[in-house]
Amino acid sequence: MPTKPLSVRYEDDLRLLSSRWRQAGVILLVLVALVFPLRASSLWLTLGSEILVLTVGAVGLMILTGFTGQISIGHAAFIGIGGYTAAILGGTYGVPFWLILPVAGVLSAAVGLAIGPFALRLKGLYLAIVTLGLIFLVAHVLRSFPEVTGGLAGISVPMLWWFDGPTVSTSQVEVLGTPLSSMIQKYYIFLILTVIAVLFATNLRRSHTGRSMAAVRDRDVAAAVLGVDVARTKYIAFGVSSFLAGVAGAMFGWEAQFLTIDATVNLLISVEYIAIIVIGGLGTVVGAVFGAVVFVAFGQFADAFLGELPIISELSGAQRKAAFQAILVTSFLMAEPLGLFGIWLRVKSYFMAWPFRY
Amino acid sequence: MQTFLQLTFSGLALGSIYALVALGFVVIYRASQVLNFAHGEFVMLGAFLMISLVQVGMWWIVALGVTMAVTGGVGMGVERAVLRPLIGRPVFVTIIVTIFVSALMRVAIFVIWGVSERGMPTPWDSTAVVEVMGARVLYNSVATIGATGLVLFSFYQLFQRSRVGVHMRATASDQEVALGLGIPVGRVFAFSWFLAGALAALAGVFLGTFPRNVDINMWLIALAAFPAVLIGGLESPLGAVIGGLALGVVQLLTQGYVNPLLGAFGNNFHQVFPYAIMIAFLVVKPYGLFGSREVERV
Repeated sequence: MPTKPLSVRYEDDLRLLSSRWRQAGVILLVLVALVFPLRASSLWLTLGSEILVLTVGAVGLMILTGFTGQISIGHAAFIGIGGYTAAILGGTYGVPFWLILPVAGVLSAAVGLAIGPFALRLKGLYLAIVTLGLIFLVAHVLRSFPEVTGGLAGISVPMLWWFDGPTVSTSQVEVLGTPLSSMIQKYYIFLILTVIAVLFATNLRRSHTGRSMAAVRDRDVAAAVLGVDVARTKYIAFGVSSFLAGVAGAMFGWEAQFLTIDATVNLLISVEYIAIIVIGGLGTVVGAVFGAVVFVAFGQFADAFLGELPIISELSGAQRKAAFQAILVTSFLMAEPLGLFGIWLRVKSYFMAWPFRY
Repeated sequence: MQTFLQLTFSGLALGSIYALVALGFVVIYRASQVLNFAHGEFVMLGAFLMISLVQVGMWWIVALGVTMAVTGGVGMGVERAVLRPLIGRPVFVTIIVTIFVSALMRVAIFVIWGVSERGMPTPWDSTAVVEVMGARVLYNSVATIGATGLVLFSFYQLFQRSRVGVHMRATASDQEVALGLGIPVGRVFAFSWFLAGALAALAGVFLGTFPRNVDINMWLIALAAFPAVLIGGLESPLGAVIGGLALGVVQLLTQGYVNPLLGAFGNNFHQVFPYAIMIAFLVVKPYGLFGSREVERV
């Protein structure tokens, strides 16, 4: 494998994908993502959509935790706000999905910015617990207005193409003469959103704001001394992160088609997102993508191969999945601190130095 | 007035339990800088274990001792097996890992004891009441407050006067210096987790007594205790106790007086209200009442 080419011109430095190999990898990934639904069974298609939803949410959390270093275990609150916005606007008012997306994002970002003032004062675990409080507060508000949110019984989330128009599941969209099923339509919509989110995060990281974020993460006092506006950077991180979480929440709602408060605004959902970004590798955008892929694979693996064991088979499906995900993620974190990104670095350096050891 | 006294007494009883739980958080945090999200499962484990031991025919007080010891042992095991290898890793890694450990313990408890609700046996009549200034207070509440007082006093003695206590304080103030002075920091970690587990088990036993039940949702007490821990200050045992007692009283008074005023919004308002107080409080004092302010250098 060739080493990274030396950048000799400014344009080389500006390029999104610095080497041929990266270009090839990204093209391959996008091709696989494009072709995959046409051949996949419905189970695999569901998993694919699930990965895309998790990726968008994880990119959001990555901006906050990975880029800016602010610990949040309240991501589920924003997911919940997005999901319930989609449910209420789509179900009660018949608003089409492309209009819901920005609304869900902005609403969620507004709540995220409201947390901003606390983030300026608090650090580390104190901030983490405040964001945990956000989960309880949002869940309480949702529970308090059952006539709007469906209360404990839950609420269904239709995905409409047009005002009071056909839902994605009933409409027929034809491409080159072949009708696409509702799941495939959903998958492609999600894929577009995911690509936008990933591109956005990648570019954000290379921008002035992104470098400010890294400075705040690494040493906020030093960053302030160097002239970085710490308050502004933290506000931007919270705003952007919760915007993406709101969008991911709306996608989550459409994917699940039915939301209950307890299953949406839930500590374990936040933990899943943290696990994804840590598995993938903190501070990298690809980490969010591959973290989501591996996380879903872990859950599926647990379900498929380990469900036959004696005591295990008495547990309900969700419990079994949670337990095995817990075991796999915990052991992964204990064995590989840098996550998948760390494994990738080791593999890469092995091949780059070949035939020598280092 | 009578209602007020009654609410205050039950609040103090609930607050004692919060104090025990919060103290466990603080003890663990001081030793290993981990916020143990699996603490609620220690509480639950203690309660279930106690019921089973009493059913087997063990004396109540002996069963209590055994329960505390076993739960403490489980705490020690969790530290040794899962958290010791993670020393020096970022905070959120320990957060995720303890949350996953809590999920695993919950599944294990579910497999062993099932979902049915049980009452906690007590050596005295569970529903007996005693009149205090016209207010009817449950024996259980009195016992909870008394036992907590006793345990907190012994904890204070242990912490301030004993050799182990000095070791714990030294480790909390600076691990490397403590290690350099020959303090067995590893053993201090283990002992801290043991202590926290034992405190959690005691809290679980009293949390399960009469007005409440022992069931699979008991672990939520740990999440409910966070405001007490943070308002008190993460590093301060005294803060945890004061915060815990205050949390219990405030919560029950809110339930008694504020919830009815709020209509539909008031359902379970007392459960989220402490979090709102905590968030507001931390804006004024970011490190809680007794937490140590970090000195920042470039």
